[in-house]
Amino acid sequence: MGAVRGCDIPEDLMYNVENNVWVRKESDGTATVGLTSYACSLAGTIVSYTPKKVGKTVKKDKSCTTVESGKWVGPAKTPVTGEVTETNDKVAANPGLINEDPYGEGWLIKLKPEDWDGEVGDLKTGSDALAAFEAKMEADGFGGC
Amino acid sequence: MPERDQTTLRVLDTGLRPAAENMAFNRSLLECHQEGVSPHTLRFLQFEPCALVGFHQNVDQEINTEYCKEHGIAIQRRITGGGAIYFDATQLGWELYLDKRFLGTADMGQIAARICNAAAAGMRSLGVDAQFRPRNDIEVDGRKISGTGGAFDGESIMYQGTLLIEFDVEDMLRILRIPAEKLSNKAIESARDRVVNLATLLEEMPALDVVKDAIARAFAEEFGVRTEAADLLPEERRAFDAALAEIDTEEWVYQRNRPATDAPMFESIFKSDGGLMRVGAALDPERKRLKQLWITGDIFVKPARTIADLEAALRDTPQAEMEDRVRAFFAERDVEMLQLTADDFIAAIQSALAQAEVDSAAAQ
Repeated sequence: MGAVRGCDIPEDLMYNVENNVWVRKESDGTATVGLTSYACSLAGTIVSYTPKKVGKTVKKDKSCTTVESGKWVGPAKTPVTGEVTETNDKVAANPGLINEDPYGEGWLIKLKPEDWDGEVGDLKTGSDALAAFEAKMEADGFGGC
Repeated sequence: MPERDQTTLRVLDTGLRPAAENMAFNRSLLECHQEGVSPHTLRFLQFEPCALVGFHQNVDQEINTEYCKEHGIAIQRRITGGGAIYFDATQLGWELYLDKRFLGTADMGQIAARICNAAAAGMRSLGVDAQFRPRNDIEVDGRKISGTGGAFDGESIMYQGTLLIEFDVEDMLRILRIPAEKLSNKAIESARDRVVNLATLLEEMPALDVVKDAIARAFAEEFGVRTEAADLLPEERRAFDAALAEIDTEEWVYQRNRPATDAPMFESIFKSDGGLMRVGAALDPERKRLKQLWITGDIFVKPARTIADLEAALRDTPQAEMEDRVRAFFAERDVEMLQLTADDFIAAIQSALAQAEVDSAAAQ
């Protein structure tokens, strides 16, 4: 697995680096969205998770979930537009799972992408993603995960 | 997008307002800042009497809504995290709208610490020994004088805090959903011991404008900027109107409401070689999270503020992390205890948590 400054960044996922989120197309045509390990490190332990409701359409780069950590509240922004098909019950019961396993059990939402091919062009993957995260961490003055 | 002025902090004073308007300012100013419209801003605010829940909280679970209705106390939802609070004109609110570039870090804990340290310096300049207490409080000799919280969107952040001027904690306890039998005089006294007012600490309470100036100066110094009093921009005014239309509604305030579950507070008494310890624990059973602890007892701990610091360090802690956090807390401090160990605190807290499990098993 790829890593930047000690933060895991799996090279097979697609990232919106600025918004610190990843997306993965699943075999059933849905897409899974989550926070990066870098986002989790900046936030600290996440204590609340409120996803948009199943059936609601979330727009690219708009909030698909609200999270809270250490009294900070903010949105996680979806990298692609789509209708929410599933939210994560395990994370609802234990929001800290997002920190523990951001690319696995700690996913945020699954959605049915509206225009996958049209929207993923500006997302980064593989070594491009690693380089973009390195640049972001530099700009953010980040020491490491 | 025009480049934002990095050398000036606009000071906005929106005066005494209903809660809905103050929340609408939070939403609209953060949005406008994120869009690059708003300058870096320090806002001072005051509230007509209101109960404010944290963004993720459930009103019926936290607030005594009947009492609020009877006493004309508004109920609102913040856009920031944390717990329910009572706000009225005896407290001063302050808040900052900045971005991560200006702050030089994207680490949320570091941002909170830097802002709280600066706010504490402003309070110190008035003559009180205010200090930042991780993770989100400012205190004077172990007693809380300010609570804080934040919201972020993209690169922009809004971080806000209170400053207790002549606040009576009993008003706060009345609006919270605490069973009446737990609101004994002793409980109220014990809560009073944990907070402190600026007016109590100072021989002569300065005018509110002097307090605001002191805080503004401290932020200006911390960030190396000048302050400039200025009004809302027309775009901000429009965004405020739109936000108010959404926020001044039952839909916003009562979102994510679920029926209140009973007995969210548990108490236990734990006997150790170091003395008798009484632990009260408020839990969020759905999320297996410790919301707040109260530790009292005939125990010797020096410095005395250690207990208050421990309570603050354990606020909003997943139950599974409690033990590690208690150990880490004592490991990084020089604390003198008479025949008392970190293990005693862990065991005492665990016995309160066990109480919760007994209750929930009985309920099923």
